[in-house]
Amino acid sequence: MDIKPFTDTPIKFLEYDGKPAGDIGSLGLTNEQLLVMYRWMVFVRAVDDRGYILVRQGRAGFYAQVAGQEASQVGSALVLTKNDWIYGDHRSQGSQLVKGLKAAQWFAHVLGRTLDPTQGRMMPHGSGSADLHIVPPSSTVGNKITEAVGTAMAQRYRKTKDLTITYFGDGATSEGDFHVGLNFAAVYGSPVIFFCQNNQYAISVKLEEQTHTKTIAEKARAYGMDGYFVDGNDILAVYAVSKLAADKARAGNGPTLIEAYTYRYGPHSSADDDTRYRPKGELEMWRTQRDPVTRFRAFLVGKKLWDDAKEQKLLEEVKAEVADEFAKAEVSTPPEPLTVLDHVYAKRTPHLDAERAELAAELGVS
Amino acid sequence: MATVQAEKKQAFTMVQAIRSALIDEMTRDDNVVTLGEDIGIRGGVFLVTEGLIDMFGKERVIDTPLAELGIIGAAIGMALYGLRPVAEIQFIDFLYPGFDMFVSEAAKLRYRSAGQFKVPMVVRSPYGGGVRGGSYHSQSPEAYYVSTPGIKVVAPSNPYDAKGLLISSIRDDDPVLFMEPKKIYRTVKSELPEGAYEVPLGKASIVREGKHVTVIAYGAMVPLAQEGAVQMEKEGVEVEIIDLRTLQPYDTDAILTSVAKTGHAVLLQEAPRIGGYMGEIAAFLAENAIEHLEGPVVRVTGWDTPFPYALEKAYMPNVERLMRGIKKTLNF
Repeated sequence: MDIKPFTDTPIKFLEYDGKPAGDIGSLGLTNEQLLVMYRWMVFVRAVDDRGYILVRQGRAGFYAQVAGQEASQVGSALVLTKNDWIYGDHRSQGSQLVKGLKAAQWFAHVLGRTLDPTQGRMMPHGSGSADLHIVPPSSTVGNKITEAVGTAMAQRYRKTKDLTITYFGDGATSEGDFHVGLNFAAVYGSPVIFFCQNNQYAISVKLEEQTHTKTIAEKARAYGMDGYFVDGNDILAVYAVSKLAADKARAGNGPTLIEAYTYRYGPHSSADDDTRYRPKGELEMWRTQRDPVTRFRAFLVGKKLWDDAKEQKLLEEVKAEVADEFAKAEVSTPPEPLTVLDHVYAKRTPHLDAERAELAAELGVS
Repeated sequence: MATVQAEKKQAFTMVQAIRSALIDEMTRDDNVVTLGEDIGIRGGVFLVTEGLIDMFGKERVIDTPLAELGIIGAAIGMALYGLRPVAEIQFIDFLYPGFDMFVSEAAKLRYRSAGQFKVPMVVRSPYGGGVRGGSYHSQSPEAYYVSTPGIKVVAPSNPYDAKGLLISSIRDDDPVLFMEPKKIYRTVKSELPEGAYEVPLGKASIVREGKHVTVIAYGAMVPLAQEGAVQMEKEGVEVEIIDLRTLQPYDTDAILTSVAKTGHAVLLQEAPRIGGYMGEIAAFLAENAIEHLEGPVVRVTGWDTPFPYALEKAYMPNVERLMRGIKKTLNF
C-alpha cells in the first residue's frame, strides 16, 4: 500500500471496529507476528495497571500511565533492532519494555530499588539502560530531541545501518528543541525518527491551544522532511509508518516526523486531576470506541486468529508474569545511602570524597 | 627521534596552542570530532579551527546551523554514543540557549543513569572582558557552571596550559566547560614542546612564589595578578600567585599550603562579586584556614552590574584595584 505523507486524516489500516481499512497484506506480517503485537499491548497495559496501583498504595511518588497509547509505543518500538537507540519521554514505558527492559526493572524503577538499572536516581519518568541503548528520559520537555539527533549523527559517522528514535508529546512540539532538532537532522540527513505521540493534551492544554497548525505532521514540511499523520490507536498503521521511516533512515535517506494521533486514559500523571479540563464523556468515548487493544483483538478475531479461550489463557499468563516480575522488584533492595555521592563524575573528586566522609559520619557507617 | 621532537620548541599564542591540541587529538583518536558555528571553512571567528576542515573533512569538523541548543544537544548525543565531541560556542555569552542541555542533561546523565552512560564532551568557548565586546561578548559566567555538579570547569591562563588542559579535557570522561580567555588569546606566547601532552585537571600551579600574600586567580586575571605582583614588589611586598587552572574540581591543597604560608588571601576574578566563584574560595578559607589568616579574605572583582561597553575600563579589575585589595588585607 502506498503510504503518503501529509495526509489530512490519520493513516489507518483498521477501522475502529477492527475491520481492515487498508492493504494489510502489504505489511508482510506473519500471523505469529500479529499475535506478538497483540501480546505486547496486553502486557504493557497489565504492567502499567500494576505500576499505577503503587502510587495509590503510597509506595511510589509518581506515575504517568501509558494506557491508551499502547499501539503507538508497541507498534513503533517493534521496528527497532538491538543496536538502535531510543530516547523517550516521561510516558515511555511501553517502548522501553519492547526494547528489552524487564518489567521487574520497570517496577524497581517505580519503587526506587537497585534492580532498576538507573538505581532510582530519578523519579519514575522512565528508566534507562546502556546495554539496551535506552537513554534515561528527562523531565524538561523536549530535551531528548537534539540528543537523539546527535546520536543519529554519530551512527551515520560510524557508517552503521542503525537509527535513533525519539518519543515526545504534542506539547513538546512548542519547545525550541523540536524545531532545532528537526532542522539539524534534516540538514545532516541523520537517521532519526521523530515520533510524536499526540495525545491531544499537554497536561491540560488542548492541541488547538498548543499550535495553530491542523496537524503536527505538517510541520515537517518546514524542515524539508516528510511528516506522517497516523492513527496512533491502530497498531498496524503505526507499525507500517514506523517501518517505512526506519527503512528510509537505514538506507541513508534521512529523518522522518511521525505524528501518532492517540489519547491517554489516565491523568497526565498521578499528581494531576484530569477532570478539571477534559470534557465529560470524552475519555469514555475513546475507551469504549477507539481502544487500541480492543480494536486489534477484533481484527484478530475477524481473522480467526483469536477467540475467548485464547484471550482467557493470555490474560492468565500475563497476570502470572506480571506478578513474578513484580515480586523480583519487591525483594530488590533500595540503594545504599552512601552511593548518593557516586557517579557524579567518572571518579569521585576530592570534594566529593570529603562529603562522603561527612555523610558516613552522619550515618554512623564507614 | 621522539626525544628530539619533544625538545623542539616553538612559541605559540593561546589560539595556536588550542588549535594544536585539537589537531593532535583528532589525529590520535577518530572519536574526536568538533562542531560549532563557522568552525569549518571560516576556521572559527577567532581562527582556532583554521584549516581543520581540510585536514579532517566535514564529517569531523562540523559547521552547524545557528542554534547553540542544537550544538550542545547534538554533542551530548554523540558523546553518549561513544564519540568525544568538542563543541565550540562562539562566545560563552551564547551558551545560554544551550544552558538547559548542558546543565540538565550533560551534567546529570551519568548520575541519573547510575554510571551506565557517560558524556565525554568538551564545550570550548571564549569568555571574559577587555575586548570592547559589550554585554554579550564579555561575560564570565563560570559561577553558573561550577555550581552544577557533573560538569568540570577549566580556565587556562597561558598557551602551554591551554594545550595541555584541552588535551586532558578531551580525554576526560566527563563534560568539561573549557573557558578560553579571549583577551589574552594572542597577547601571551608560550614555548610548546612538539606533540601532545597533558596538564592534569584539578591541579593549580604556583606561577609566582612569595611570602606575604597569596593572590588566587584564573584565566585572563593571572597576567593581571603578575603585573600587580611586580608593582607590589617595589613596595617590598612579595606576592604569591596561584593559577587555579581548573575551577571545578579545584585544588584545595595548593590553596591551603599557600595561605598557611602567607596568612593573607586576595581572590581575583573579573565576574561580578555576589555569588561569584571566588565566594566559594572565600568560604573554603573561612572553614579551613582560619588559624592561618592574619587579615580578611579580600575579593577583587568586576562590579555587580551587567558588562558595560563604553565603561568597560571602569568595570574590569585593574592593577590599582588589585593593589588596594592586597593592602586592605596586609594593613589589617
